[in-house]
Order: sequence, then structure tokens, then C-alpha cells
Amino acid sequence: MALRGAARVLFRAADAGLKHHARGLRFTAVLGHRSAPQGPMPNEDIDWTRLDSLEKYRSYTRYVRSAEEADRKDVWWKTYRKYREEEKEEAVEPVNIGLPYQRPSRKTEVKERKKVMLENKKNPEMERDNRLRTFRIPLDRVKTQWEQTNGPYHIKRLAEHYGVYKDLFPMAYFVPRVMLRVLYGEDSSAPVHYGNHLTPSQAARAPQVHFEAEETSLWTLLLTSPDEHLLDGEQEYLHWLVGNIPGNSVSSGQELCHYISPFPARGTGFQRYIYILFKQEHPVDFSSDLRSSPCYCLKERTFRTLDFYRKHQDIITPAGLSFFQCQWDQSVTHTFHTLLNMREPVFEYDRPPVYHPPQKKYPHGQPLRYLDRYRDGAQNTFGIY
Amino acid sequence: MALFSDVCRGVRTLLGQCQRSAATAAWIHCQSSWKYSQTAPEPEPVIRDNEAIDKTFVNRNPRNLEQMALAVKDRGWATVWPSRQYYHRLVFRRTQHHITAEVFSGDSVDPVLSCSTKEWALKRELGSTRSVAACRAVGEVLAQRCRDAGITRIVYREVPWKFRSGSNQTFWTALKEGGIMLSEQRQKFI
Repeated sequence: MALRGAARVLFRAADAGLKHHARGLRFTAVLGHRSAPQGPMPNEDIDWTRLDSLEKYRSYTRYVRSAEEADRKDVWWKTYRKYREEEKEEAVEPVNIGLPYQRPSRKTEVKERKKVMLENKKNPEMERDNRLRTFRIPLDRVKTQWEQTNGPYHIKRLAEHYGVYKDLFPMAYFVPRVMLRVLYGEDSSAPVHYGNHLTPSQAARAPQVHFEAEETSLWTLLLTSPDEHLLDGEQEYLHWLVGNIPGNSVSSGQELCHYISPFPARGTGFQRYIYILFKQEHPVDFSSDLRSSPCYCLKERTFRTLDFYRKHQDIITPAGLSFFQCQWDQSVTHTFHTLLNMREPVFEYDRPPVYHPPQKKYPHGQPLRYLDRYRDGAQNTFGIY
Repeated sequence: MALFSDVCRGVRTLLGQCQRSAATAAWIHCQSSWKYSQTAPEPEPVIRDNEAIDKTFVNRNPRNLEQMALAVKDRGWATVWPSRQYYHRLVFRRTQHHITAEVFSGDSVDPVLSCSTKEWALKRELGSTRSVAACRAVGEVLAQRCRDAGITRIVYREVPWKFRSGSNQTFWTALKEGGIMLSEQRQKFI
């Protein structure tokens, strides 16, 4: 009774506003009960009676640009993007735990760059190559310059895309200012960038690590895998930890946990292996992190980067980041059997259960197998008659 | 995030085979190194510390399911253009002064990878930032960045009268020569 009364009140109030609507009450549907829309309907402002007087787009690009603008505009109805943003807004604002960065003076930078660009424009060979389309850009020079300007931000964006910060440092992020070059293989045939695919056989031995560092500086290198843990999904396995590295040479650092090759279990797909380079202010006492050498006990290799970082957070700062992805191959079987001395686990993909809406007491128009959907595995009713 | 659980029969037999090979390896090891102590291998394996694993494995890598082609694509846009049924899409924009190419994932507003002549790294090598040669350069650099990021299959949808232009065709060829496949795997419904 009360509901019907409320609906009648709504109708009377709605009548006033809806007379001017293009759609009217009959065609405005809001999930079951009819009521007035809470804002202007789309395309309401277009006068469709006199189409010839409207301004036309006359070009596809102009239409696409206005369509994208309209897409980004805020509207009164809830869109899929709003639902996703709400999930993100509930999370805490992440903290920057990286190295501080002093941007060079913009004025001098702009002046120098303008000079270079003017020289390029005047260069006749470059103009000829551009005209005849034979110009090939030197990729290595572009990469070196990219590492000095845009690189750290692009790597940070990719690390967010791969969920590196979410899994390693839950409420923090850092911009990797120091470029970390990790090369696997004796002839440096398998480099590690930011997400490329490598095989466990390529990553079997410890790699050569290069990064720019002053002679008196101290660093810590860490290789961790957040997806590999066989017992607990929230923990990581520590593959390599070298502390108190003087300057550039990783071999003269204190090896706290010796290198073990990746062992992604069969059937689990691609797993991330993340290299983090920390900058130390002064020598750190890593006696609590020292593992036995060699360490093939998975319990000892269980690790959480967050706890390690929290322990030494006053002295170390994350400065470099590099990660790759690995899938199972034959050498992993060898690792499990010989090094870890255990049987190899094999997994299969478990599909998430099919969604069924909440069960109704009187399902109208549903077949008999409607009950089977909520029976949780007991014997089916179809196929037995 | 993916849930994995071991299959009863197939895995047990597989595990059985693995266990046998481990036992034989152990036996050979015993024989070669300690010739004086003839200890026979254990008839039944004792559950060691390492072997304590969870029956369900959770892989937290957000890009794992996409790479295995098991992740759900945004279906249902068959009557409109462009379709949203992809994991990563490529956007190529040419303005009056610059050329930008970006790779977006799913519904994200921010690009995952981008390459533009506005960046100083490219601007300093190019004479003109809006020529066909510049398009080619952008394509080559983006292909290298995609390869380094592990994203080798991207969807590229463009209207036909733009796609046929020389700059678009050079960009497309540069990407393909850089090793990127401009088509994606079909989702697996296993």
C-alpha cells in the first residue's frame, strides 16, 4: 500500500518535468519501475526538427575527436568506468619510495634542443632521406636518450601494468632512476628488459649485471618471484640476494642467498621474475637475511620484499627495476629433481564456476535443470529420462 | 589471478613417473659417490619439507591469463565499430606537427606503451616530425619497446581510407618487420 502511494506521488511530480522530454514517461525505463530521469537525456539538446540548420562535422577526424570528448565527459548515469574507478578510489593513495629527482633547468634545455632541431632541419642529407623515405632511425641512440629522459616513467607504467608494485610493495611505488642492465647467457644473448619472455634454461646461470654507479656507492641486488610460491599465494621465493655491492661489481658484493634458476611449475603459465636494485647509504648488517650456502630449502627461500624493505628502510632505497617472464620447460624438471630434491608438481587450469543469479523460489519459464544449477554437484535431473 | 588444481589420475601417474626418476637418480648418486655404503633407496618416498605444497596454486601475474589466451575478452560489441574484443589495442595518431602511437590494454585510459615524436629521444634524430620517415621511425621504436615489454600480439583497427595512406602503411610494415603480430589469439574456452 505504502509503495503504491509513493509511486503515485512520484508520477504526479514526474508529469511536470516529463512533458518537455523528447522521450516522455512511456519510454523512459529505469530497471523495473518508471520514474523521471535524474538529468538530461543524451542528444536532448539537438533540434531534430530542423536538421539542415545544424552544423555538420564535414570530416571523420572532427567526429572522432568530439566522440572521444563526449566519452570522457561526466554523466549522471553510472558507467562501467565509474564502477572501475570506485574500486580504485577505495584503495589508499600510494607513496613514492624511490630516489629524489632534481629536474635540470628547463630554459637551457629548451635552448639547446631548439638549436639541435634547427641544425637537423637545415641538414640536406636528412632532408633527402626524408623525401625518398630511406631514413632509418638509429635505435641504440634513441634507447640511450630514452633511458635518460622518458625511460624511468615508461618502466614505472609497465611495472604498474604488470602489477609489480601491487605485489611487492602494496601501498607504494618508485620511479626506477638507475638503469639496470641484466644479461643472461655467456654471449649476453638473453637480456632482461621489462616483461620480455625468457626460458628457464636461458636463466639457468647467474647473469651479468651492469648499472651506472660511483666507486664509493653501495648497492643491493635482489631477484624475487611473487608468483612462484607453491604453498602460500601471498609470499615470494627469493632467487638471489647480494648486499653491500661496492660501485659496479656485483661479484665483490656479499652473497646472502646464492642464485637458483627459475622453476615455474608446469601448467601454471607465465610467472614474473623481478630484479630490484637498492641504493644503500652506508654498509648494512644483513646477518638476519643470510641464508645457508647453497640453500635448496623452499621454506628458507620464502621471502617478502615488503618485510625486507621495512627492516632496512632507513638505509636502502629502491633505485632500479627490471623484470622478465618465464614459463615451464624441461630444465625445470631437472631443477625440481636434482637441486630441490622433490617430486615435480603439475597443475591444470581450474575454470572459475559459471555464474548463476540468486535462486528464486518460483522461477518462471525455467527448465527443470534450473534446480541442478544450485544443487552443488549432486546428481543431475536431465539425461536420466 | 588464476586458480589451478591438480587432476587426479593423470597427475598422479605423472608424479609417479617423476618420483621414479628421482629415486633412480638418487640410487645412481649413492652408487657413484659412496661405493662403500651400499644403502638401498627407500621403497616409499618420505614427504620432505619441500614437497609440502598447496593443492590449489594461485598465479598473481595479472598478464598471465591474457598470454595463455584464457582471459575473457570484452565480447558483445559485434554490432558496433570498433570492436572491444582484444587484450591490447594499437592507436596511431597523426597531428599537424607530431606522430603518436600508443598501446592500450582493455579498458584502461592510460597507455601501457607509447612512442611519440614529441619525445626528445626521437625528435633529436628526426629532421621532420610529421613525414612518412618519421612514421617509420615511430613504428620501429614502438616495435622494439613492445618486444622488450613482452607484448608481441596487438590488435590494430583503423578506418580503410586512413589505413591505405602511405604513412599508415609504412608504420604497419615497420611494426611487422620489428616482430609484432598485428592479430591476437582467439580466446580459449576450455
